Amino acid sequence: MSALPRLSTIFLAAITTLVAVLLYSPLFVPIVSSFFTISHGSVDWSAPTLSTYVALAENHDILVALRTTLIVGVCTVILSVVSGTLLALYYHGRRSGRSVLQFIIFLPFLMPPIISGLALLIFFREIGLERSLLTVVIGHTVFVLAIVYRTVLMRLQSMSRTLVEASYDLGATGWQTFWRIILPNLSSAMVGGAILAFALSFDETMITILVTGTQSTLPVRLWAMMRLGFSPDINALVALILMFTVLLCVLAARFLIPRQVATERT
Amino acid sequence: MSEAGSTQHAERRLSLLVTVLAFALPVVFVLVPLAIFLGYSFFSVDQGTIVYGLSLGNYVRFLTDPVFLPVFWNTIVLCVSVAIICILLAYPAAYFLTTLKGRWRYALLMLLLVPLLMSYVIKIYAIRSILGLNGFLNKALVALGILQEPSTLFVFNMNAILLTLTLLLIPFAILPIFLSLERIPQVLLRASDDLGASGLQTFLRITLPLSLPGVASAASFVFVLAIGDFLTPQMVGGISGFTFGRILYSQFGTAYNWPFGAALSVALAVVVIAAILVGERFGRNRGTSV
Repeated sequence: MSALPRLSTIFLAAITTLVAVLLYSPLFVPIVSSFFTISHGSVDWSAPTLSTYVALAENHDILVALRTTLIVGVCTVILSVVSGTLLALYYHGRRSGRSVLQFIIFLPFLMPPIISGLALLIFFREIGLERSLLTVVIGHTVFVLAIVYRTVLMRLQSMSRTLVEASYDLGATGWQTFWRIILPNLSSAMVGGAILAFALSFDETMITILVTGTQSTLPVRLWAMMRLGFSPDINALVALILMFTVLLCVLAARFLIPRQVATERT
Repeated sequence: MSEAGSTQHAERRLSLLVTVLAFALPVVFVLVPLAIFLGYSFFSVDQGTIVYGLSLGNYVRFLTDPVFLPVFWNTIVLCVSVAIICILLAYPAAYFLTTLKGRWRYALLMLLLVPLLMSYVIKIYAIRSILGLNGFLNKALVALGILQEPSTLFVFNMNAILLTLTLLLIPFAILPIFLSLERIPQVLLRASDDLGASGLQTFLRITLPLSLPGVASAASFVFVLAIGDFLTPQMVGGISGFTFGRILYSQFGTAYNWPFGAALSVALAVVVIAAILVGERFGRNRGTSV
């Protein structure tokens, strides 16, 4: 090895480290400070404490917002997985009109959320649907549908046709083939898609702000609180949410990565 | 026999339902709202109520009023800058990842992508507290003796928006660049080396040109995400950091002019579509298959 490649490797490693620091410092600041109390405007480093976590358990507004977020997330997951799977099953192996409809499904994901959100806001107003959690769920579903659809469709495409043909040859009806062959094969893609949908819904802020009524989800609640400045218990919440999100990522990777390995092998 | 007939009948009815849903869902919940939205941009507002008469007034106002076009242009420049900085940081990092072997490569890639899934509002808040007048950045700079006193350079202005958006969007630049670098066949690099090219020559003549599609996709991703963001500028921009997204959002809040907001959205959509098309056009991988 000559000196130049070694120098350039050091340079590249340094930039990569810088990027990692830039990406992670906004995450570590709240986590670290959640374990310390703030007195007289500066952090008291001498005594780590869990008092912020205790304070969080008593913060009623935040807990209500958290519950709202979970309700919205679960409804979004159910709606988007059912409709995303239906759409994937329907469009799979069909040529006519597929690319156009697929493009329409992807639009809310490609367009800036402000455009999707405002379009839905005006739509709800025109059809006389009052802004509520229902409109939030619809907004989230429209936004995450593309992800679920794509995850399921990719699994369908990598699934061997012979499985379905064998099922028919053995005398199964279309219904039986669907329940016994297609659905079990899709299940892990559906679970992976559901986790991604939940993670996206959990963090969705811009569309939610535009279509929500009086009840706010956690990001919207935090957004409103931020203008006044946070109380320390928010740091505790942040730490918990980050842990939860990491867990979701690991779960999603578990359900989605076997498929990639399988496609690489073929 | 009749039982089989009825299940077949039920199946046929079900497939009809699925067909209707497959067309109705995207059309009703995506296409119709967008169409109504586009329609709104030709309406106007009179004393707080929306007038459903077609006119080009909103577009004329956008193009002639001295306020909107400069903000529009400044926002585009801001978001192009964000894209450029993101790429300058992401390219070396992505290149470094491809020099790693096996498991390390993907572990580190995951490490750099995971922050994407972390709460967006909280990241903005944390960045703001780092950049603030009493924030970590200022304290560190003062402690290091680089600054005499805390600087207002990164507090509630365009610089703050630029930095925050960059920090938020770097992962979106890393992934496409990494994928295009990874796709470059090793034989090409070895051939270049065999033919006596230096490391720098190989990089400039082989690696860089072949990774440009990834750079184009990265730029288009980052630009589109940056220009559509109205929360970050609101949070860290203060009064002087006025972006197009904020003006657009205010039409649906304080200014209460939905039709004009819709027209501004159409202008935004045009830029976004152009950016996506440019990314798509130059983002195609060509000539990397051997």
